[in-house]
Amino acid sequence: MLSRGAASRELPAIVRMVELEVAGLVKQYSPQVTIGPISFEVTEGEFFSLLGPSGCGKTTTLRCIAGFERPSEGRITLSGRRLDDMPPHRRDVGLVFQNYALFPHLTVFENIAFGLRLRRIGRKEVEERVGRMLELVGLPNLAGRYPPQLSGGQQQRIAIARSLVLEPRLLLFDEPLSNLDFKLRVQMRFELRELQRRLGKTSIYVTHDQTEALALSDRIAVLSQGRIEQIGRPSEIYETPETAFVADFIGSSNILDATVQSKSGVGASVRTGSGLELTVPPVVEEIGSRLLILVRPERIRLVDGREEAVSNRITAEIDDLTYLGEDVQLRVTTAPAAKLLVALKSGKGTRELRRGGSIDLAIDPEDIHVLRK
Amino acid sequence: MQRSIDRPLWALFVGPYGVYLVILLVVPLVNIAVYSVYTYSPTKIAVPDLTAANYARLWDAYYIQLFLRTTKLALVTTVICAVLGYPVAYTLARARPALMSLGLFLLVVPLMVSTVIRVFGWVVILGRNGLVNEVLDLLGLEPFRVMYTETAVVIGLVNIFMPFMVLPMMSAIERIPPSFEEAATNLGANWFQMFARVILPLSYPGLVSGSLLVYSVSLSAFVTPVLMGGARIRVIGSQIFDEVLVSFNWPGASSLALVVIAATTMLVLVALRATRAAARLESRQ
Repeated sequence: MLSRGAASRELPAIVRMVELEVAGLVKQYSPQVTIGPISFEVTEGEFFSLLGPSGCGKTTTLRCIAGFERPSEGRITLSGRRLDDMPPHRRDVGLVFQNYALFPHLTVFENIAFGLRLRRIGRKEVEERVGRMLELVGLPNLAGRYPPQLSGGQQQRIAIARSLVLEPRLLLFDEPLSNLDFKLRVQMRFELRELQRRLGKTSIYVTHDQTEALALSDRIAVLSQGRIEQIGRPSEIYETPETAFVADFIGSSNILDATVQSKSGVGASVRTGSGLELTVPPVVEEIGSRLLILVRPERIRLVDGREEAVSNRITAEIDDLTYLGEDVQLRVTTAPAAKLLVALKSGKGTRELRRGGSIDLAIDPEDIHVLRK
Repeated sequence: MQRSIDRPLWALFVGPYGVYLVILLVVPLVNIAVYSVYTYSPTKIAVPDLTAANYARLWDAYYIQLFLRTTKLALVTTVICAVLGYPVAYTLARARPALMSLGLFLLVVPLMVSTVIRVFGWVVILGRNGLVNEVLDLLGLEPFRVMYTETAVVIGLVNIFMPFMVLPMMSAIERIPPSFEEAATNLGANWFQMFARVILPLSYPGLVSGSLLVYSVSLSAFVTPVLMGGARIRVIGSQIFDEVLVSFNWPGASSLALVVIAATTMLVLVALRATRAAARLESRQ
């Protein structure tokens, strides 16, 4: 298992096998409330996240895969086997719950051994496998304790061990870190990533926390209102979002409404609704058509006084300034009344900035991303 | 500081019912205890000559059989209530709120009907010319003689006391998060394995308190056994009733009552201790 995961990671994505396929999944709760259709594929050893606000359908999708919800339409296939007609206890899919769902009347050992006992595995093998799992999650001395005696982080690790010990084909995580405090959450995030890398276990991770999804995932599917908005690697999701929803949901952003003024092979010129004239990368849209452009606050830069021929130079007035140590966050109004969020690295240039003062900014054309409208 | 405020409030809250309990429970119990060692007199009911004869006479085949029969009926009733009640309690505990309210209402409705009326209802259904036998007769089958048997008594008792079993079970099951069931299922348990390994052990305190309630009320029931069991199926309750109101042997009735109370109390204490041990195990911090 371990070597298989390590090997598959070396191969390019195309060569890897599709492990899980969700095709046209629809869950109809009522005529008004429908999730889907949702389709995606997860390759062997991949860490795949479903990211979105509450009610977007991410948990429903996960529960359909685990078998706790019956899809109204669609097909779920795990390594070639149809999953959707199979009862949930036969699916060979491990689920780590948000509240851990450890059995309070059983010791840590018996919790981890629960699934092994159901499979009538001999006493010696049970002891050996549970012991190995406790080592793996770094809690070899807690076998005799009861779950209520453990901290949140320890319970989380036991819950993961309880699923992993059965060596499921697929591991599902339902917001597993959301009940932990901030510091522990960050630490568990690293441990989870490390564990998943080591075991190469195909995993689907549901979260509403974009930082978690960006940090952990090989690929992310961003969901909104029961549909997938975009599937991509974390950097693609952040830097080249395909829809305004994704751009807005991930990170902070300036999304501006704009009209194409002129275009050429190397770029285009647009005018925003608030009157800013900007040079952007080449677009396919016709002159006069409207589109949305995205500018990340940290991609807007301060203009050095000696610079010449700066494209997209903007003079603005500082409405608000928040000093955060590493960064300085600004809300500015540009000369033709456009409001922008700006995040600058603190340093020499930012020391003189004052609320109400004026500031010289620039956006490099390649830092402007054109969204599908 | 805190304590000086707490104490009078505590007395105020518990006091009124405490007085009620003392007057209507403790005083009569002491009275019964006193009567149980008095000597029976056919003319004066009881005379204050201390004796152990009232207890000694209970060591007699008739009374031993009475005890055994009553205990058996109560045990069988408890077991049937537990077996039939568990699925009901589980279903109600996991039902949508509206369905749960409806179920609770239907469950408790029999308690709102007087025992006598309910028992006559059973006579209409199970009697010699009752509904069941009319139908059997129409089908050309042998009549089903169940009235005035131990079976009839158990049927009646289960009907009345089912809510006492289901309610504590239900509140115990309600406290078990549904994710525990899903976790067990996800780890490979089918429904019965899940129930046996997760629901049963975690709702065990509800089973114990339900069983204790049903057992003790079944043990002391007398209207249902008299009306559904008839003269042949005598139980402790009907024996006490007769000794108090028919033969006016109050010392005899008192000794019988005290023995039952002592036996039941002991059982309750043992069971509560067992539950508490289980609860401690669960919430070990």
